[in-house]
Amino acid sequence: MIRQLLAEATPSFSWSARPGNWRIEVFAGLVGAILVIPQGITFAYLAGLPPEYGLYCAIFVTLICSLLGSSSMMSGPNTAVAILIGAAVLPLAGRGSPVYIDFVFLLCMMVGLIQLVFWLARGARIFQYLSPAAISGISAGAGFLIIMASLDSMLDLSTFNTTFFYEKLYVIASDARDLVNPFSLAIGLTTIAGGYLGRRYSPRYFIIIAVSAGYLCGLLVAFIWPQPHTELEYLGRMPLQWLPLTIPNINMDYLMISINLIPYAITIAFIGLAQSLVIVRELKMETDQNINLDKEVYAQGMANFLAPFFSSFAGAGSFNRTRANQSLGATTPLSGIAAAGFVLILITFLGPVLTYMPMAAMSGTLFIVGADMIKWRDIKHYAQVRSELAIYLATFISIMFFGLAVGVVVAVFLSVSVFMLRISQLELKVEPGDAGLVLKVKGALFYASVAHLTERFHSHAGENLTVDLQYTTHIDQSAVDFFIRESRHMTAHGHKLTLLINDRQRKFLEKLGASTELELVSL
Amino acid sequence: MKIGPGFLLVALVLTSTAAHAQQNQPSIEQLLEEPFLDDYYSNVVYGYEIITDTQTNASRYVGNSLQCSNCHLQAGTLEDALPLNVAGMYPKWRAKNGKRNGIGLRIRECFLYSMDGIMPPEDAPEVLAVSAYVTYLSQGQVMGAEPVGRGVPTLPDTGYDPNPANGRAVYLAQCSSCHGERGEGTAGMPPVWGLNAYNKGAGMNDIQQAAGFIWANMPLGNGKSLTHQQALDVSAYLNLQVRPADPRDSKFLKLLEHLLN
Ligand code: HEC
Ligand code: HEC
Repeated sequence: MIRQLLAEATPSFSWSARPGNWRIEVFAGLVGAILVIPQGITFAYLAGLPPEYGLYCAIFVTLICSLLGSSSMMSGPNTAVAILIGAAVLPLAGRGSPVYIDFVFLLCMMVGLIQLVFWLARGARIFQYLSPAAISGISAGAGFLIIMASLDSMLDLSTFNTTFFYEKLYVIASDARDLVNPFSLAIGLTTIAGGYLGRRYSPRYFIIIAVSAGYLCGLLVAFIWPQPHTELEYLGRMPLQWLPLTIPNINMDYLMISINLIPYAITIAFIGLAQSLVIVRELKMETDQNINLDKEVYAQGMANFLAPFFSSFAGAGSFNRTRANQSLGATTPLSGIAAAGFVLILITFLGPVLTYMPMAAMSGTLFIVGADMIKWRDIKHYAQVRSELAIYLATFISIMFFGLAVGVVVAVFLSVSVFMLRISQLELKVEPGDAGLVLKVKGALFYASVAHLTERFHSHAGENLTVDLQYTTHIDQSAVDFFIRESRHMTAHGHKLTLLINDRQRKFLEKLGASTELELVSL
Repeated sequence: MKIGPGFLLVALVLTSTAAHAQQNQPSIEQLLEEPFLDDYYSNVVYGYEIITDTQTNASRYVGNSLQCSNCHLQAGTLEDALPLNVAGMYPKWRAKNGKRNGIGLRIRECFLYSMDGIMPPEDAPEVLAVSAYVTYLSQGQVMGAEPVGRGVPTLPDTGYDPNPANGRAVYLAQCSSCHGERGEGTAGMPPVWGLNAYNKGAGMNDIQQAAGFIWANMPLGNGKSLTHQQALDVSAYLNLQVRPADPRDSKFLKLLEHLLN
């Protein structure tokens, strides 16, 4: 056990022995780096942090995760995680102030620690119970929140808050002339238009096209009107360093206050891992990579725990970048490592250019990212099964009204309930046999499903019963207790209860003390 | 609602303790030593750090090599040197845009002009922190009353026009030892013109204001040693020098400057 943990905890580099085309990997890394720069900046905005933190996240979280992990998954800044960080820390300190950043760091370390506990507890399997509909619902809900956040900064409404989104839409609509900054809106719309037109020609790089369109539009505006007139918000100079080492500020007072952060830390840890593991599982199914889920959990947890030491915030796997990575043919963590390096190189050169990047262009790309997360295809896909559609819609709607954290709780609760309902359902078939009726039981027989059986028993009271358990997958103590009770009851009325079982079940039932009271017949 | 005497007493005690707390607010040195500060005081400290070391703490919006405290001397606490204890003077009504302009706008303008940078958004952490610091410095001031020594002294009319040629002589004799012969500044001394100084839209580029500042504070450590006329002359000389363009009028130039710088 210890040896296995140690093996997972050290970078394996086993992929380096596998024949692969390193040139493909490095090129995929370059594409990943280009894609992540706008994402890093905008997600930092969602998390309430200065933009350079998002870029550091794109470098160091990606790097650590790829070094320690075993797959070609691209980790790094993640929408849901960023939104949740913002929601968690905002009540404690002013957005972007030093104390705010201290709390973000503390939160990220907590997230990392919780994920490491998950790793120790071999928790990767838990996420299989989260229904895919729930994950799509969360992703769509996050997309909705992103769209709202992008509207905020595109219309320049940053100082303006409402409880529910429709109030905001109403106020915008009714007072557009006074509230909306037309320059900002024009740049934002140019960016979005650029993105959707660009997608026709280059589905892979359209985000870059969108950002460039917004940037050029911003230059044009700046050329005609001065900033005091346009009131445009620019990215500004980023004080970038190659190795932004920091030591998170931790003391008693911080720890006392950050108790408030624990529920968020758990939610973030959970949602981060859920997304990463969905990606990894897909990769495992679609490629022949030698992936160890537990190792991926460890890599993600470690990356998040160490993130604050590199001035970054927590991250998780990224669907869109992993997909781009895969479509370019990358199959090893080398692409992630290369991506981290390229981000570092790119931002050193792009830094000065990015200074005059209008935030409206950034939020335009944010809008596209958000809109892409709400997929009509998903809704149609889940509409086939009623329970899945219900999970999807309930998750989505609760995120719309109550925020991401509540949505995640709803999603988990519904997934688990549906799962419980499913497995507590028994397939029962009654056939006439030689000595009374034969009841065939298919499914898992445990405290939740015994109720079904009770109903059947009562509707056939007054007859001899033989219960065929050979297709029953699981039997627990309460089921055995039930049989014993029924058997006593039936004998008292002069009937007989017989259980048909196989050898494995016999051993088990004897252990539960069933052999003395019940008539067991082996097949 | 009926208000009983008990309530009044409580209210009285509360207000008196609040007033008490305000008068004895901790000094910046004390705050800097605290391991943990609440949101307000941490912003005060952050604001103080921005004023004294703008280049590292607010580099996002800065375009030259000045610090706020190069003009707002002693971190904005010195009279006649643009002190920052002015929270009671804001928000100001401005007919031009029909808005009440708060301290935030003033801070953002200093970023844009005096620091030749980018105007930060209203809710930028840097702006909020400096506002907190301004509020902190203004404790005890009377709302709406001009604080003693606000801004810079207004020099009396000398009867002569400012003469840049005389100003050049004054500059070379009195100022260049610190600010450099070409105004570029020396180690530890800020530039007074060139591409790293305040731009043409800055308050310091106004001859009267600069003269008041220079007369009261320069040469540093020996303020009020120049005559009023000398201060006006040197200020006119500074006004003629090359410096970044005013972002309000030469947009093309400004854009080029930005992209080159
Ligand atoms: C080049 C000198 C210079 C620098 C550097 C400078 N300022 Fe100023 N500041 C001025 C002048 C001059 C005024 C008065 C301007 C006016 O009234 O037009 C002023 C006024 C102000 C005021 C309003 C004071 C009042 O009396 O109402 C605030 C607040 C302020 N500045 C903040 C800042 C901040 C924050 C920084 C740093 C980011 C900064 N300033 C940097 C020159 C400067
Ligand atoms: C002893 C060195 C010294 C001398 C001499 C001196 N200054 Fe300064 N000056 C400074 C310093 C230092 C500052 C910044 C103050 C601070 O950071 O506390 C400053 C600030 C200034 C500023 C505002 C900040 C800026 O860079 O725009 C102006 C304007 C200025 N000086 C003009 C003058 C003029 C005019 C003279 C000559 C009459 C002069 N100074 C002489 C040291 C000097």
